Amino acid sequence: MKEVGDITKMPRGIDRGLAGCHVCHKVAPVSVERCPRCGSHLHLRKKDSIARTLALVVASAVMYVPANILPIMNFRELGVRTESTIISGLIQFWNAGSYPIALVIFTASILIPFMKIASLLWLCAAAKGKIPNSGKTLGKVYWITELLGRWSMVDIFVVAILVTMVQLGNYMRVTPGPGALAFASVVILTMFAAMSFDPKLLWDQLDSPPEKTGPNPDNEP
Amino acid sequence: MICHFCDTIHEAEPIPEGSRVSCVCCDATLYQNRPASLARVTSFSVTALLLMLVVHTAPFITMDAADLRTKLTLPGAAMTLIEEGSPIVGVGVALFTIVTPFVLSSGLVYVCAPLMFGKSAPGAMTVTRWMNRTEPWNMIEVFLLGVLVSLLKLGHLAELHFGIGFWAFTVLMFCMAAATAAIDRQELWDRLEVANEK
Repeated sequence: MKEVGDITKMPRGIDRGLAGCHVCHKVAPVSVERCPRCGSHLHLRKKDSIARTLALVVASAVMYVPANILPIMNFRELGVRTESTIISGLIQFWNAGSYPIALVIFTASILIPFMKIASLLWLCAAAKGKIPNSGKTLGKVYWITELLGRWSMVDIFVVAILVTMVQLGNYMRVTPGPGALAFASVVILTMFAAMSFDPKLLWDQLDSPPEKTGPNPDNEP
Repeated sequence: MICHFCDTIHEAEPIPEGSRVSCVCCDATLYQNRPASLARVTSFSVTALLLMLVVHTAPFITMDAADLRTKLTLPGAAMTLIEEGSPIVGVGVALFTIVTPFVLSSGLVYVCAPLMFGKSAPGAMTVTRWMNRTEPWNMIEVFLLGVLVSLLKLGHLAELHFGIGFWAFTVLMFCMAAATAAIDRQELWDRLEVANEK
């Protein structure tokens, strides 16, 4: 392997006007606009990456509230109606002694969405240079965020299955609640947010630290 | 080659089958040479398509409670959600568990099978581009976890029987995972490029 020097002084595509196609990975000068192999749009950095990511993250953070407060399912047993939120379902499993399954639901439905929102905000702040940045660590954070996103969908599928299975006439029925829609939109919005974030921005920030033109007035006595 | 995570330029060199190269700057995997990629992708995707037939027709689970019998199938679950007042969630479930896996595996067969013989199917590049986009939305393994959680919820309530659909779905999950894990993007695109030039 080649000798690894200072990782902030690696030859970057952006310095030479070369773009790696996002779809087929071919390297081409960005000036040709479309990838000569697969025809996808070429760009050095994803367009308005931070603004788009932030917008989607804020939207999903807003939806996170009703997703946890509103019932995701309504149970109707012999005419008695009980509402079930994500947290009440979790508590039910915990009280019944099914700790492993309670942990799975806690991780997929509460922890992962929360961590995704938090880590995307962290990534955006780091890419903007507002907080210290280590490309390697944050790159991993980004990779994990993208990887885990889909697993939060599990609660929506549980709703789908219960609604289908528990249709026992007057004896017992399950219907979907408004929380399900809110929760599904959190998952989908965070997935789009993760996709619109460009991890290369983290490295741009490392290559050219706080690029303020002229002396910073705050540092002058 | 340019790293997709940190934009570092690398010189591409052929590497032995089954090995991988990582970015010198950020350690992300740059390229992995996967053995017999096209043959594996095609065979696993064909199997997945056949299994889908079974999965969508045979019930996953049947539940007997109070003289009533209910069945779970994937299209059935999506339809019930739509009928019970959550049309958007229902369409979402159908998209992530029925449409996406189908588009993905049929697309893979369409592109990879002719490529094994050095031919490119009409519009193969467009199809490959679209598959790239649909891949993260394939959620069948997540649905299987959902089935298991629901079983635990329903277990004390009624008598449950696993149907053929459930076992077919489990195998389908492994086939889809094996098919997507066998894709060698670099090789796929290189071969597409060569086949299109002919």
